[in-house]
Amino acid sequence: MIKYLVRRTLGWLLMIVVATNVTYFLAWSFLDPHSNYVGRKPPMSPEQIENLLRPRNLDASVPLMDRWWTWFSGIITRWDWGMSPTGGSVNEQVAFRMWISAELVLGATIIATLLGIWIGVYTASRQYRLGDRIWQGVSIVTMNVNIIVAGLAVVILAINFNNWVGTRVFYVTGSSTEGVTGFFPVIIDALQHLILPTIALVIIGYAQYHFLQRTLLLDNISADYVRTARAKGLTKQQAVRRHALRTSLIPVATQVAFSIPGIFTGAILTETIFAWQGMGRYFLTTINGNDVHGVVAVAAFGAVLTAVGALLADIAVVVLDPRVRVS
Amino acid sequence: MSTEMIDPTVQPPVGPDTTAERIPTKQLSKWTLYTRRFMRNKPAVAGVIIFILMAIYSVVVPLLTPYKLDDQDFLNLSTGPSPEHWFGTNAGGNDNWTLTAVGLQRSLMIALTVSVGVTALSAIVGTAAAYFRGRVEQITLIIIHFLMVVPTFLILALVSNDAGGDWRVISLAMIFVSWFFPARVIWTLALSLREREYIDAARYMGVSGMRIVLRHLVPNIGSLLVINFTLGVVGAVMTETGLSFIGFGVKLPDVSLGSLIGYGAASVTSAPWLFYFPALALTLLTVSMALVADGLRDALDPTSAAGGRA
Repeated sequence: MIKYLVRRTLGWLLMIVVATNVTYFLAWSFLDPHSNYVGRKPPMSPEQIENLLRPRNLDASVPLMDRWWTWFSGIITRWDWGMSPTGGSVNEQVAFRMWISAELVLGATIIATLLGIWIGVYTASRQYRLGDRIWQGVSIVTMNVNIIVAGLAVVILAINFNNWVGTRVFYVTGSSTEGVTGFFPVIIDALQHLILPTIALVIIGYAQYHFLQRTLLLDNISADYVRTARAKGLTKQQAVRRHALRTSLIPVATQVAFSIPGIFTGAILTETIFAWQGMGRYFLTTINGNDVHGVVAVAAFGAVLTAVGALLADIAVVVLDPRVRVS
Repeated sequence: MSTEMIDPTVQPPVGPDTTAERIPTKQLSKWTLYTRRFMRNKPAVAGVIIFILMAIYSVVVPLLTPYKLDDQDFLNLSTGPSPEHWFGTNAGGNDNWTLTAVGLQRSLMIALTVSVGVTALSAIVGTAAAYFRGRVEQITLIIIHFLMVVPTFLILALVSNDAGGDWRVISLAMIFVSWFFPARVIWTLALSLREREYIDAARYMGVSGMRIVLRHLVPNIGSLLVINFTLGVVGAVMTETGLSFIGFGVKLPDVSLGSLIGYGAASVTSAPWLFYFPALALTLLTVSMALVADGLRDALDPTSAAGGRA
């Protein structure tokens, strides 16, 4: 099992390296840091711009392969992801932003998965009854609501709720308040900020697991081994939980891995709506600021999130599926 | 044998009449069957009606409205819904009813273009990879798997930002980043289709490879393609609005639902109607298309028992 996971990890690592390098060349073909200095008053001469950009490894007059090698060897030897056109370090920016995005993306993924599976199990054991029909209708709407609409609707509701209660229960901007100290105040403050974007991401994200889990469980509920379990004397609840659910969870686990890039895209939009200074916002500022190194760092972060999700799914499959443990 | 042996009063044993059920109905055509099954799914019918109404709104209103897109009504700056301006006006005095219709039209055009392109491209690439086997199949799969790892939203943002908001370039870029996932699904389906007798028969008749793909393989996954097309419209609308919302998609003077919601988001507390109406149009569009896709899946699936016979 360890060997299997190590092999998967190495495979993903290779994919991340390739994807990051491809993004580097792509970013250079679309972004030009020189254009940041066009139209300055007083105008800057091309030499001045080059002298400014060359130490930051962003000078387009240096051959592309040389720039790439300086950048790539910097990451390999010093874990240095380069500098932005304004001179700031990409490492510093990513270091604090990545945790902000990670808590949003991973938190929303976990909650959406658990909620989706729970609703899937609930509706599958009540097929075509009222509860199933209602959830079916709710899920098909929420799954097809745009994340922007969901996010802004949550903001409007939260503002109304705050006005109705009279105090600020939910914060609609930022990921934390300045100057909060102490263990519990910090946690409560973080939750007050985190809850709204997480709700928005969960609303649009859970339904796919609901539908998948419901279909899979319905296929398994009528299988022979579940009937055997019932015949042994297990209640329907126990038979579903211990036998049918276990087999039908495996495809759901793999689905989770492939939905993480989508959730990250959703996080780019939610961070814009809720004014979080996470990787999503960084993505926008780097593209607008022709910050090649920053763009590549965001791409690498997205790839790492996908890989983490895929590995978690692999571990879940190993735990759930005895056949994988044997091989 | 003499005829007296048969006693006319003794009747042969009568079983249940098995012929009676088959006689009365005349055979249904394929399309009647599909329509009948589709009509049975009430939410899907509602979806079609909503979608048609939205399409009419987006085509007719920009032609008939008394306000042009860039007309400014200086007596009504940022006012709420009123008899003159049904959906209110924005801070520049532009009529929101017209803006929403034009934005919807642009979003629909992008979505339909992208969905047609993605469906066609993924069908041809997926089936061709399965049919030609060997080197072609290997290379196609390597490209597909590679594209699955590359951050596609980032590529999309880079390309469309570079294009300066031209919707045709955005559509092309969106086709490029979304064809490979359906192509892989179609490839797995085509793996079993390529083993069918009619494919062998066509090959022995001397039909060329590409012709077999286009005339025999692609039509046989037709029902999947129809469903993929409707779901593709939903996906494309979502992606386009996301891009335009963050300012990398459609840009002024052109508007789409995403950019309208983006402007509305800035004034969501002071002028909420600028957010409500484009958001409502967007939600109706995506939800109605999803309901249609659901109904089509029931109608086109040969093993479907979508509540009733036939």
